[in-house]
Amino acid sequence: MARQRIAGLVASALATLTIGIAPVLAHHSFSMFDQATPLTITGVVSGVEWTNPHVYIELDLVEPIKGAKHWSIELGSPSILQRGGWKFNTVKKGDKVSAVVSPLKNGEPGSLLTRITLPDGRVLGNGGPTGVGPGTTAPPAATPR
Amino acid sequence: MTIPRIAVVLCLAVGVGAIAHAQSSAARNIGGAWVPMGGGRGADPKIAPPPATAIVLKPTYAAAQEARRAADAERTRRGEPPPSPAVLCLPYGMPRMMTVASYPIEILQTPGQITIVTEAFSEVRRVYLDQPQLPIDEVPPGYYGRSVGKWDADTLVVDTVGIKESVPSYNGLVHSDRMRITERIRLVTPDVLHDQITIDDPVVLEKPFTYTLAYRRLPNYEMVEFVCENNREYVDEQGRVRMRVGGAQK
Repeated sequence: MARQRIAGLVASALATLTIGIAPVLAHHSFSMFDQATPLTITGVVSGVEWTNPHVYIELDLVEPIKGAKHWSIELGSPSILQRGGWKFNTVKKGDKVSAVVSPLKNGEPGSLLTRITLPDGRVLGNGGPTGVGPGTTAPPAATPR
Repeated sequence: MTIPRIAVVLCLAVGVGAIAHAQSSAARNIGGAWVPMGGGRGADPKIAPPPATAIVLKPTYAAAQEARRAADAERTRRGEPPPSPAVLCLPYGMPRMMTVASYPIEILQTPGQITIVTEAFSEVRRVYLDQPQLPIDEVPPGYYGRSVGKWDADTLVVDTVGIKESVPSYNGLVHSDRMRITERIRLVTPDVLHDQITIDDPVVLEKPFTYTLAYRRLPNYEMVEFVCENNREYVDEQGRVRMRVGGAQK
Protein backbone atom coordinates (compact mmCIF):
# COMPACT_ATOMS: atom_id res chain seq x y z
CA MET A 1 0.00 0.00 0.00
CA ALA A 2 2.78 2.35 1.07
CA ARG A 3 4.75 1.32 -2.01
CA GLN A 4 1.72 2.07 -4.21
CA ARG A 5 1.36 5.46 -2.59
CA ILE A 6 5.02 6.24 -3.20
CA ALA A 7 4.72 5.06 -6.79
CA GLY A 8 1.71 7.34 -7.17
CA LEU A 9 3.58 10.29 -5.75
CA VAL A 10 6.53 9.62 -8.04
CA ALA A 11 4.21 9.39 -11.03
CA SER A 12 2.51 12.64 -10.03
CA ALA A 13 5.85 14.35 -9.59
CA LEU A 14 6.97 13.09 -12.97
CA ALA A 15 3.79 14.39 -14.56
CA THR A 16 4.35 17.73 -12.90
CA LEU A 17 7.91 17.86 -14.14
CA THR A 18 7.13 16.87 -17.66
CA ILE A 19 3.99 18.84 -18.34
CA GLY A 20 3.83 21.47 -15.64
CA ILE A 21 5.51 24.00 -17.84
CA ALA A 22 4.57 27.31 -19.36
CA PRO A 23 2.06 27.07 -22.20
CA VAL A 24 3.67 25.74 -25.34
CA LEU A 25 2.42 26.86 -28.71
CA ALA A 26 0.78 24.04 -30.51
CA HIS A 27 2.42 23.40 -33.83
CA HIS A 28 3.10 20.97 -36.56
CA SER A 29 5.87 18.49 -35.90
CA PHE A 30 8.61 19.05 -38.45
CA SER A 31 10.61 16.03 -37.44
CA MET A 32 9.94 14.29 -40.77
CA PHE A 33 12.11 16.95 -42.41
CA ASP A 34 15.91 16.96 -42.09
CA GLN A 35 16.48 20.52 -40.94
CA ALA A 36 20.15 19.87 -40.23
CA THR A 37 20.94 19.24 -43.89
CA PRO A 38 19.42 22.00 -46.02
CA LEU A 39 19.40 21.69 -49.80
CA THR A 40 19.25 24.37 -52.46
CA ILE A 41 16.96 23.41 -55.32
CA THR A 42 16.50 25.45 -58.48
CA GLY A 43 13.85 25.02 -61.12
CA VAL A 44 10.68 26.15 -62.82
CA VAL A 45 7.43 26.30 -60.86
CA SER A 46 4.94 23.82 -62.28
CA GLY A 47 2.20 24.55 -59.77
CA VAL A 48 1.26 26.60 -56.72
CA GLU A 49 -1.43 25.48 -54.31
CA TRP A 50 -2.44 28.42 -52.08
CA THR A 51 -4.39 26.21 -49.72
CA ASN A 52 -4.83 25.13 -46.13
CA PRO A 53 -3.48 23.56 -44.05
CA HIS A 54 -0.36 24.26 -46.13
CA VAL A 55 0.69 26.07 -49.25
CA TYR A 56 2.67 23.94 -51.74
CA ILE A 57 5.00 24.80 -54.57
CA GLU A 58 5.74 22.15 -57.18
CA LEU A 59 9.11 22.52 -58.84
CA ASP A 60 10.65 20.98 -61.99
CA LEU A 61 14.36 21.00 -61.25
CA VAL A 62 17.04 22.11 -63.66
CA GLU A 63 19.21 19.22 -62.45
CA PRO A 64 17.81 16.16 -60.68
CA ILE A 65 18.58 15.88 -56.96
CA LYS A 66 18.51 12.50 -55.23
CA GLY A 67 17.38 11.01 -58.52
CA ALA A 68 14.23 13.13 -58.79
CA LYS A 69 13.52 15.91 -61.28
CA HIS A 70 10.30 17.00 -59.61
CA TRP A 71 10.16 18.19 -56.00
CA SER A 72 7.32 19.33 -53.75
CA ILE A 73 7.90 22.16 -51.27
CA GLU A 74 5.70 22.58 -48.21
CA LEU A 75 5.17 26.07 -46.83
CA GLY A 76 3.21 27.51 -43.92
CA SER A 77 -0.47 28.32 -44.29
CA PRO A 78 -1.88 31.34 -46.18
CA SER A 79 -2.49 33.12 -42.87
CA ILE A 80 1.06 32.68 -41.65
CA LEU A 81 2.58 33.52 -45.03
CA GLN A 82 0.47 36.66 -45.51
CA ARG A 83 1.67 38.02 -42.19
CA GLY A 84 5.21 37.20 -43.36
CA GLY A 85 4.97 39.33 -46.49
CA TRP A 86 3.59 36.83 -49.01
CA LYS A 87 0.63 37.21 -51.35
CA PHE A 88 -1.33 34.43 -53.00
CA ASN A 89 0.29 35.31 -56.32
CA THR A 90 3.83 35.96 -55.12
CA VAL A 91 4.97 32.78 -56.87
CA LYS A 92 3.38 31.78 -60.16
CA LYS A 93 3.51 28.83 -62.50
CA GLY A 94 6.43 29.26 -64.89
CA ASP A 95 8.56 31.30 -62.46
CA LYS A 96 12.19 30.27 -62.19
CA VAL A 97 13.04 30.15 -58.52
CA SER A 98 15.70 28.89 -56.18
CA ALA A 99 14.79 27.60 -52.76
CA VAL A 100 16.61 26.51 -49.63
CA VAL A 101 14.66 23.58 -48.24
CA SER A 102 14.81 20.87 -45.59
CA PRO A 103 14.32 17.55 -47.40
CA LEU A 104 12.18 14.68 -46.16
CA LYS A 105 14.22 12.25 -44.09
CA ASN A 106 12.71 9.26 -45.88
CA GLY A 107 14.40 10.22 -49.16
CA GLU A 108 11.25 11.11 -51.10
CA PRO A 109 11.41 14.34 -53.15
CA GLY A 110 9.44 16.47 -50.71
CA SER A 111 10.68 19.28 -48.51
CA LEU A 112 9.94 22.15 -46.17
CA LEU A 113 10.76 25.67 -47.31
CA THR A 114 13.35 27.72 -45.46
CA ARG A 115 13.59 30.58 -47.95
CA ILE A 116 12.97 31.21 -51.62
CA THR A 117 14.54 33.58 -54.13
CA LEU A 118 11.99 34.96 -56.59
CA PRO A 119 12.67 35.84 -60.27
CA ASP A 120 12.95 39.53 -59.31
CA GLY A 121 15.59 38.73 -56.71
CA ARG A 122 13.38 39.14 -53.63
CA VAL A 123 13.95 36.58 -50.90
CA LEU A 124 11.06 35.41 -48.74
CA GLY A 125 11.06 33.21 -45.67
CA ASN A 126 8.43 30.69 -44.68
CA GLY A 127 6.08 33.06 -42.86
CA GLY A 128 7.11 33.78 -39.33
CA PRO A 129 6.11 36.40 -36.82
CA THR A 130 4.12 39.41 -37.90
CA GLY A 131 6.38 42.04 -39.30
CA VAL A 132 9.09 39.70 -40.43
CA GLY A 133 10.25 41.06 -43.71
CA PRO A 134 11.63 39.50 -46.84
CA GLY A 135 14.89 37.69 -46.47
CA THR A 136 14.25 36.58 -42.94
CA THR A 137 14.35 32.92 -42.24
CA ALA A 138 11.35 32.17 -40.14
CA PRO A 139 11.22 29.48 -37.52
CA PRO A 140 9.67 26.33 -38.97
CA ALA A 141 6.39 27.49 -40.41
CA ALA A 142 3.99 27.73 -37.53
CA THR A 143 1.24 25.67 -38.98
CA PRO A 144 -1.42 24.18 -36.78
CA ARG A 145 -0.80 20.59 -35.85
CA MET B 1 -32.78 72.76 -1.63
CA THR B 2 -33.72 75.20 -4.38
CA ILE B 3 -34.63 74.03 -7.82
CA PRO B 4 -31.35 75.23 -9.43
CA ARG B 5 -29.35 73.34 -6.78
CA ILE B 6 -31.31 70.17 -7.42
CA ALA B 7 -30.64 70.59 -11.13
CA VAL B 8 -26.90 70.95 -10.51
CA VAL B 9 -26.80 67.85 -8.29
CA LEU B 10 -28.78 65.87 -10.87
CA CYS B 11 -26.48 66.98 -13.69
CA LEU B 12 -23.40 66.00 -11.65
CA ALA B 13 -24.88 62.62 -10.82
CA VAL B 14 -25.75 61.93 -14.45
CA GLY B 15 -22.30 63.12 -15.55
CA VAL B 16 -20.43 60.91 -13.09
CA GLY B 17 -22.63 57.97 -14.07
CA ALA B 18 -21.92 58.57 -17.74
CA ILE B 19 -18.16 58.71 -17.16
CA ALA B 20 -18.25 55.52 -15.10
CA HIS B 21 -20.29 53.83 -17.81
CA ALA B 22 -17.90 55.00 -20.53
CA GLN B 23 -14.90 53.71 -18.55
CA SER B 24 -16.60 50.40 -17.93
CA SER B 25 -17.55 50.10 -21.62
CA ALA B 26 -13.97 50.74 -22.67
CA ALA B 27 -12.68 48.16 -20.20
CA ARG B 28 -15.15 45.65 -21.60
CA ASN B 29 -14.34 46.38 -25.22
CA ILE B 30 -12.75 43.06 -26.09
CA GLY B 31 -14.17 42.96 -29.61
CA GLY B 32 -11.91 42.69 -32.64
CA ALA B 33 -8.98 40.59 -33.82
CA TRP B 34 -6.24 39.44 -31.47
CA VAL B 35 -2.95 37.66 -32.04
CA PRO B 36 -1.36 35.37 -29.43
CA MET B 37 1.55 36.93 -27.62
CA GLY B 38 4.37 34.98 -26.06
CA GLY B 39 5.79 35.42 -22.61
CA GLY B 40 9.22 34.24 -21.59
CA ARG B 41 12.51 36.09 -21.49
CA GLY B 42 12.36 39.74 -22.42
CA ALA B 43 8.59 39.98 -22.14
CA ASP B 44 7.19 43.10 -20.51
CA PRO B 45 6.24 41.92 -17.01
CA LYS B 46 3.27 44.30 -16.97
CA ILE B 47 1.61 42.50 -19.84
CA ALA B 48 3.30 39.07 -19.97
CA PRO B 49 1.11 36.15 -18.97
CA PRO B 50 2.00 34.66 -15.59
CA PRO B 51 3.47 31.14 -15.66
CA ALA B 52 1.17 28.14 -15.54
CA THR B 53 0.58 26.35 -12.27
CA ALA B 54 1.70 22.74 -11.88
CA ILE B 55 -0.36 20.03 -13.51
CA VAL B 56 -0.76 17.09 -11.19
CA LEU B 57 -2.52 14.07 -12.63
CA LYS B 58 -3.94 11.22 -10.59
CA PRO B 59 -1.39 8.38 -10.53
CA THR B 60 -3.07 6.14 -13.10
CA TYR B 61 -3.34 8.96 -15.61
CA ALA B 62 0.14 10.28 -14.81
CA ALA B 63 1.75 6.93 -15.62
CA ALA B 64 -0.17 6.62 -18.89
CA GLN B 65 0.62 10.20 -19.83
CA GLU B 66 4.33 9.74 -19.17
CA ALA B 67 4.41 6.52 -21.21
CA ARG B 68 2.66 8.25 -24.11
CA ARG B 69 4.95 11.28 -23.91
CA ALA B 70 8.06 9.09 -23.96
CA ALA B 71 6.76 7.04 -26.92
CA ASP B 72 5.85 10.19 -28.86
CA ALA B 73 9.26 11.75 -28.15
CA GLU B 74 11.01 8.63 -29.43
CA ARG B 75 8.94 8.60 -32.63
CA THR B 76 9.60 12.29 -33.18
CA ARG B 77 13.33 11.68 -32.67
CA ARG B 78 13.19 9.05 -35.44
CA GLY B 79 11.53 11.55 -37.79
CA GLU B 80 8.23 9.67 -37.65
CA PRO B 81 5.98 12.03 -35.71
CA PRO B 82 2.85 10.51 -34.18
CA PRO B 83 -0.42 11.71 -35.63
CA SER B 84 -2.50 14.33 -33.85
CA PRO B 85 -6.15 15.09 -34.68
CA ALA B 86 -5.02 18.19 -36.57
CA VAL B 87 -2.99 16.01 -38.97
CA LEU B 88 -6.35 14.61 -40.04
CA CYS B 89 -7.68 18.18 -40.45
CA LEU B 90 -9.82 17.89 -37.33
CA PRO B 91 -10.29 21.14 -35.40
CA TYR B 92 -8.77 21.73 -31.97
CA GLY B 93 -11.86 22.35 -29.84
CA MET B 94 -11.69 23.69 -26.30
CA PRO B 95 -9.41 24.67 -24.72
CA ARG B 96 -6.62 24.37 -27.31
CA MET B 97 -8.41 26.41 -29.98
CA MET B 98 -7.75 29.53 -27.88
CA THR B 99 -4.11 29.49 -28.95
CA VAL B 100 -2.87 27.79 -32.08
CA ALA B 101 0.63 28.92 -33.02
CA SER B 102 0.40 32.57 -34.07
CA TYR B 103 -3.07 32.37 -35.59
CA PRO B 104 -5.33 35.29 -34.64
CA ILE B 105 -8.72 34.99 -33.02
CA GLU B 106 -11.66 37.35 -33.47
CA ILE B 107 -14.10 38.31 -30.71
CA LEU B 108 -17.57 39.55 -31.59
CA GLN B 109 -19.68 41.30 -28.96
CA THR B 110 -23.42 41.36 -29.56
CA PRO B 111 -26.28 41.75 -27.05
CA GLY B 112 -26.50 38.66 -24.88
CA GLN B 113 -23.67 36.81 -26.62
CA ILE B 114 -19.94 36.86 -27.19
CA THR B 115 -18.67 34.85 -30.15
CA ILE B 116 -15.08 33.77 -30.61
CA VAL B 117 -13.91 32.81 -34.10
CA THR B 118 -10.43 31.41 -34.64
CA GLU B 119 -8.41 31.72 -37.81
CA ALA B 120 -6.87 28.25 -37.60
CA PHE B 121 -9.60 25.86 -38.77
CA SER B 122 -12.25 28.65 -38.55
CA GLU B 123 -13.51 27.35 -35.21
CA VAL B 124 -16.46 29.09 -33.54
CA ARG B 125 -17.57 29.16 -29.93
CA ARG B 126 -20.51 31.02 -28.49
CA VAL B 127 -20.65 32.38 -24.96
CA TYR B 128 -24.21 33.05 -23.75
CA LEU B 129 -24.24 35.96 -21.32
CA ASP B 130 -26.10 35.91 -18.02
CA GLN B 131 -27.60 32.50 -18.68
CA PRO B 132 -27.50 29.60 -16.20
CA GLN B 133 -25.16 26.74 -17.05
CA LEU B 134 -26.70 23.32 -17.67
CA PRO B 135 -25.65 20.26 -15.70
CA ILE B 136 -22.78 18.51 -17.53
CA ASP B 137 -24.92 15.48 -18.26
CA GLU B 138 -27.39 17.62 -20.19
CA VAL B 139 -24.79 19.05 -22.58
CA PRO B 140 -24.11 16.94 -25.67
CA PRO B 141 -20.35 16.23 -25.66
CA GLY B 142 -18.63 18.17 -28.43
CA TYR B 143 -15.59 20.17 -29.44
CA TYR B 144 -16.79 23.41 -27.86
CA GLY B 145 -19.30 22.25 -25.24
CA ARG B 146 -21.61 24.89 -23.82
CA SER B 147 -20.29 28.22 -22.57
CA VAL B 148 -22.02 30.80 -20.42
CA GLY B 149 -20.48 34.05 -19.26
CA LYS B 150 -21.01 37.03 -17.05
CA TRP B 151 -19.13 40.23 -16.41
CA ASP B 152 -17.49 40.49 -12.99
CA ALA B 153 -16.54 44.18 -13.03
CA ASP B 154 -14.23 44.31 -16.07
CA THR B 155 -13.52 40.60 -16.26
CA LEU B 156 -15.57 38.29 -18.42
CA VAL B 157 -15.97 35.01 -16.54
CA VAL B 158 -16.82 32.09 -18.81
CA ASP B 159 -17.83 28.61 -17.74
CA THR B 160 -17.58 25.76 -20.25
CA VAL B 161 -18.63 22.12 -19.89
CA GLY B 162 -19.42 19.31 -22.30
CA ILE B 163 -16.08 18.73 -24.06
CA LYS B 164 -15.89 15.23 -25.49
CA GLU B 165 -13.11 13.02 -24.22
CA SER B 166 -11.57 12.51 -27.67
CA VAL B 167 -10.72 16.23 -27.88
CA PRO B 168 -7.23 16.65 -26.37
CA SER B 169 -6.97 19.18 -23.58
CA TYR B 170 -4.16 21.63 -22.81
CA ASN B 171 -0.81 20.34 -24.11
CA GLY B 172 -2.52 17.18 -25.34
CA LEU B 173 -3.59 16.05 -21.88
CA VAL B 174 -6.33 13.52 -21.50
CA HIS B 175 -9.48 14.59 -19.68
CA SER B 176 -12.77 13.09 -18.60
CA ASP B 177 -16.30 14.15 -19.46
CA ARG B 178 -16.35 15.91 -16.05
CA MET B 179 -13.87 18.55 -17.23
CA ARG B 180 -14.90 22.11 -16.44
CA ILE B 181 -13.12 25.11 -17.98
CA THR B 182 -13.27 28.49 -16.27
CA GLU B 183 -11.92 31.50 -18.10
CA ARG B 184 -11.31 34.99 -16.77
CA ILE B 185 -10.90 37.25 -19.78
CA ARG B 186 -9.86 40.85 -19.28
CA LEU B 187 -7.97 43.72 -20.85
CA VAL B 188 -4.71 44.37 -19.03
CA THR B 189 -4.16 47.39 -21.28
CA PRO B 190 -6.51 48.65 -24.02
CA ASP B 191 -4.57 46.54 -26.53
CA VAL B 192 -3.52 43.50 -24.50
CA LEU B 193 -5.96 40.81 -23.52
CA HIS B 194 -5.44 37.99 -21.04
CA ASP B 195 -7.43 34.78 -20.88
CA GLN B 196 -6.73 33.02 -17.61
CA ILE B 197 -7.87 29.44 -18.03
CA THR B 198 -8.48 27.03 -15.18
CA ILE B 199 -9.04 23.37 -15.96
CA ASP B 200 -10.79 21.32 -13.35
CA ASP B 201 -11.32 17.61 -13.77
CA PRO B 202 -11.96 15.64 -10.60
CA VAL B 203 -11.50 12.33 -12.45
CA VAL B 204 -8.07 12.98 -14.02
CA LEU B 205 -6.52 15.78 -11.97
CA GLU B 206 -5.43 15.86 -8.34
CA LYS B 207 -6.27 19.56 -8.35
CA PRO B 208 -7.21 22.20 -10.93
CA PHE B 209 -4.45 23.93 -12.85
CA THR B 210 -4.35 27.41 -14.34
CA TYR B 211 -2.54 28.94 -17.28
CA THR B 212 -2.87 32.31 -18.95
CA LEU B 213 -2.90 33.21 -22.62
CA ALA B 214 -2.02 36.72 -23.75
CA TYR B 215 -3.07 38.43 -26.97
CA ARG B 216 -2.19 41.69 -28.70
CA ARG B 217 -4.87 43.65 -30.51
CA LEU B 218 -4.64 43.56 -34.32
CA PRO B 219 -6.34 46.75 -35.49
CA ASN B 220 -8.11 46.59 -38.86
CA TYR B 221 -7.10 42.97 -39.36
CA GLU B 222 -9.20 40.96 -41.81
CA MET B 223 -9.42 37.34 -40.77
CA VAL B 224 -8.12 34.83 -43.33
CA GLU B 225 -10.32 31.88 -44.26
CA PHE B 226 -9.12 28.40 -43.34
CA VAL B 227 -10.66 25.43 -45.08
CA CYS B 228 -8.55 22.32 -44.61
CA GLU B 229 -8.95 21.24 -48.23
CA ASN B 230 -5.47 20.16 -49.28
CA ASN B 231 -4.09 17.94 -46.58
CA ARG B 232 -1.02 16.24 -47.99
CA GLU B 233 -0.06 14.69 -44.71
CA TYR B 234 -1.43 11.29 -43.99
CA VAL B 235 -0.96 8.50 -41.51
CA ASP B 236 0.56 5.37 -43.04
CA GLU B 237 -0.17 1.77 -42.12
CA GLN B 238 2.44 1.94 -39.38
CA GLY B 239 0.88 5.01 -37.79
CA ARG B 240 3.53 7.43 -39.01
CA VAL B 241 2.78 10.88 -40.41
CA ARG B 242 3.94 11.08 -44.03
CA MET B 243 3.86 13.79 -46.66
CA ARG B 244 2.44 13.00 -50.07
CA VAL B 245 4.68 14.45 -52.76
CA GLY B 246 3.98 15.32 -56.37
CA GLY B 247 0.96 17.63 -56.35
CA ALA B 248 -2.65 17.78 -55.29
CA GLN B 249 -4.60 14.55 -55.09
CA LYS B 250 -6.67 14.21 -58.21
